[in-house]
Amino acid sequence: MADTVDLTALDRWIREFARLIAEHKEMLTELDSAIGDADHGINMHRGMTAVVTTLESESPGRPSELFKRTGMTLVSTVGGASGPLYGTAFLRMSATVGDAEELDGNDLAKMLRAALEGVVQRGKAVPGDKTMLDAFGPAVEALEAAIADGEPLARALDAAVRAAEEGRAKTIPMVARKGRASYLGERSAGHQDPGATSVTFLVAAAATSLV
Amino acid sequence: MVGLVVVSHSRGLAVAAVQLAVEMVHDGRPPIEVAAGLDESTLGTDATAIASAIDRADAGDGVVVLMDLGSAVLSAELALEMVAAPERVVLCPAPLVEGLAAAVVSAASGAGRSEVAAEAAAALEAKATHLAPAASPSDVAPSEGGGQVASGVVAVSNPHGLHARPAARLVGEARRFDARVEIRNRSTGSGWVPAGSLSRVSTLGVLRGQEIEVRASGAQAREAVDGLVALARRGFDEAFVDGGQTARAPGLAVAGQTAAGASGLPDAPPDIARGQTAAGAPGLLVARADISEISERGRGRALAASAGVGIGPAWIPGAGSSAASLGDISEISGQDAGGEWPRVEAAVEATRLEISQVRASAAPGQADVFEAHLLLLEDADLLDDIRARIDRGVAAPRAVHDAADRVAREFEALADPYLKGRAADVRAVGEQVVRHLLGLERTHLDGDGVLVAADLTPADVVGLDRERVTGVLLAGGSPTAHAAILARGRQIPMVVGAGAAVLGVAPGTTIALDGGTGEFAIAPGDGALAEFRARETERAVRRRRADALAQDPAVTRNGATIAVGANVGSIEDARAAAAHGADLAGLVRTEFLFLDRDEAPTVDEQVATYRSIGAAIGRPIVLRTLDVGGDKPLRYAPGPPEQNPFLGVRGLRHSLAHPGLFRDQLEAIVRAARHTPVTVMFPMVTGVAELIAARRLLDEAGARDGLEVGIMVEVPAAALKIATFRPYVDFVSIGTNDLAQYTLAAERGNPAVPADALDPAVLRLIDRVCRDAGVPVTVCGELAADEAAVPVLTALGVAELSVTPAAVPLVKQAVRTAGDDSVAWALDLPDAAAVRRRLVSG
Repeated sequence: MADTVDLTALDRWIREFARLIAEHKEMLTELDSAIGDADHGINMHRGMTAVVTTLESESPGRPSELFKRTGMTLVSTVGGASGPLYGTAFLRMSATVGDAEELDGNDLAKMLRAALEGVVQRGKAVPGDKTMLDAFGPAVEALEAAIADGEPLARALDAAVRAAEEGRAKTIPMVARKGRASYLGERSAGHQDPGATSVTFLVAAAATSLV
Repeated sequence: MVGLVVVSHSRGLAVAAVQLAVEMVHDGRPPIEVAAGLDESTLGTDATAIASAIDRADAGDGVVVLMDLGSAVLSAELALEMVAAPERVVLCPAPLVEGLAAAVVSAASGAGRSEVAAEAAAALEAKATHLAPAASPSDVAPSEGGGQVASGVVAVSNPHGLHARPAARLVGEARRFDARVEIRNRSTGSGWVPAGSLSRVSTLGVLRGQEIEVRASGAQAREAVDGLVALARRGFDEAFVDGGQTARAPGLAVAGQTAAGASGLPDAPPDIARGQTAAGAPGLLVARADISEISERGRGRALAASAGVGIGPAWIPGAGSSAASLGDISEISGQDAGGEWPRVEAAVEATRLEISQVRASAAPGQADVFEAHLLLLEDADLLDDIRARIDRGVAAPRAVHDAADRVAREFEALADPYLKGRAADVRAVGEQVVRHLLGLERTHLDGDGVLVAADLTPADVVGLDRERVTGVLLAGGSPTAHAAILARGRQIPMVVGAGAAVLGVAPGTTIALDGGTGEFAIAPGDGALAEFRARETERAVRRRRADALAQDPAVTRNGATIAVGANVGSIEDARAAAAHGADLAGLVRTEFLFLDRDEAPTVDEQVATYRSIGAAIGRPIVLRTLDVGGDKPLRYAPGPPEQNPFLGVRGLRHSLAHPGLFRDQLEAIVRAARHTPVTVMFPMVTGVAELIAARRLLDEAGARDGLEVGIMVEVPAAALKIATFRPYVDFVSIGTNDLAQYTLAAERGNPAVPADALDPAVLRLIDRVCRDAGVPVTVCGELAADEAAVPVLTALGVAELSVTPAAVPLVKQAVRTAGDDSVAWALDLPDAAAVRRRLVSG
């Protein structure tokens, strides 16, 4: 089947995510300085740089190892709440893909669903709390729906990116109810959520590097 | 000593906080580890660093983790997934600096981890009280969102706070409503826990006078909060002495109150000793005594607790034994309260020492029982109760006895059979303390022959001399009590629940008992004695013969090979199954992977475990998907409240109601099946629509052709409609335990309503299934291990039996004696007893 992705493609995805984070780290930090502690861009950049370094030093043997190393590295290098949140997401992906060498659209959807559930479980946020969930949730749903409709993977991933971008935009008027931003209460409205922004990069990176 | 871990974004902050806290203790400082900052200067938290700090701080007594904010909490939660013993870790919501100081002091004093966490959490209270007068207890909070969300606050007035029994009432009440209900200990500032979980509610450690806060969301949120607040105001329907007056709360006599309600209030009059028998049977026993009847010929049948035949002269522990001494305690008058409490403390300490010694001599795997006993000696509820009684002028021995009795009754009132069994432990520990108070030496139960007693403590059983004690006959007791479990481990034949009458036996009277069947005979005639002797010899011979042939296939006299598998609930079981010659694991109870944890096992963990089981037995395994229900809810997959969980959302119904959990398990099974010969089986199926839904999910999980699928037939409806399942199953497996329960409307654990699966009604259902299923039929309930029943089952057409691992050799032997005689006669008999009579008489 042409519509599968292998370790090389998945590795590309992680590096592309690292690149997008590096490129936008000032922007992410700026978003975070409006409503948080101004560290999201720096933290994520530190974490993803460390991830790329570990991948360079030794190539993972299979997708589960790629995700596991990514998750564990983020957990111990990001420092802020994004560490355990992104870390959990990648660790859940690792657990979900198991021994598989190649993943099809179904596998990807299942994997991202597990990642999403991990984020929900770890952060205990619900949709509308102005968190990464507000972009990640719609993206996973859109991907699942497109795959279920038999769309090819490329189009399914495009749908996911569009849903993530829409979700990200919707965080602007929201009032934060989780994390440091929640201390601001109503004053957090009017700013785009940095977590929703970085996770949109994760989805966008998938669309450009997996297929 | 409990260890402490400090999690902070800043290493400097954490180190300083530790420095401040340890100033308060001078020696015996608890292990404290710091996991803070990404390095000396970079702010941040690292879950892997936290996990290793926890492992370093855990010297065996567990760890309390204190965190600063934000990612510290998330990282600590993630770290719990990485540590060696997460069950010993408490994440404490206390403010870091105040909490750490309190925790250090508390841990240094030797407190347990929940106590340390509670102390830490309460540390904020001191500051809050200092800075502002305590807020008066607010009344029920106004409803928000049109009755969809509600909350309320109420103070707990029960003398011992929200201990086991009131907590059980609270949980029962919370589950009645269609709402998500949570509570927290407002006074200690604890986190929220689900009000429907007894274990979680117990962790709140709510003491008298503290306030609990209730919040709920969902359709009946308002009703749920009102119900719980009203229940708390009624003292959780608990009768307790308050200000010298007995307050019998309204609603006490509601259905569901069992032992504690029926057999006397906690503050029963001082003459309860009158209700005791010679050997001091507790009052509860009298009510249970009638489950066994002793015929005029001195024969009786009670509950089988430890297999084997025991014959010998009766010996009854005399005066000076712990049990007998309790009859005298009401005659001892109290000294001044000031003198009595130190006596209790000394006796508790002496008991602690004694239990530690017994524990040291217990076999591996048996020491846990005594660990639990040691914990009871630290139980605040119990100790406070003793103290309160002493303050009222009650003599120490009496106070200890009555307090232990009260706590034991609370356990007895719980629905969970395991918790019920813990009542005996409480009584055992209470008696030991009383014995030390009275200055009585510990009696080693020392005699020859059959020990007859009201009940035995686990320590008693461990102390028995296997060379001299041929058997144990108990008036009370339970097959699930620790005493019985230890007796099985030591292979001492034991019959329990024989009734108070057996305590009247004159010492020296010959007693014969069969711990495999529960039969016993007092002063048996020569004939009866010969029968028991023959049974003993025969059993030994048969066992040896069966063991010798265990690895061979079981073939009936007319040449049919019957696969005899093992029911497996752990990797250990799988090894035992292989050793006993099981042809397969006919039933793998996957629940063991799911129960008693806060999160579902991951797919990987499940795959690994299923593969390990397959590897341990080296034969095909039949994985039964999760079989749980409302009686044993999973913390991470709660269901709506149910009046009768056994007729509610359980088995496959539960799995279909929790598709995420179910999909994970199916995926794990599918993945395990790639490497291990696995078939899958769904429990508690009622109709074919459920099976189709389950099969669809199984297909979605990537099941390959060739993965065999079966159902458990436990519901009479499924047995009667078996033909409709035909297109969708490769085999069916009859769970005779549940099938008998549902057919005979008799709960298996209730000795008053025997649920013998050999009842013709059950046999008719088995017959129907064998005729109409069109696929091979397995039986995996206890009936399959009943050697008398095996020929009936094979004659009905059962192709495979699955039994507890140790029973495999004897069941194989039973198969080898089975022929092809028709058993149609059995279907027309009136009851199981008639079937058994006919089988014995041939």
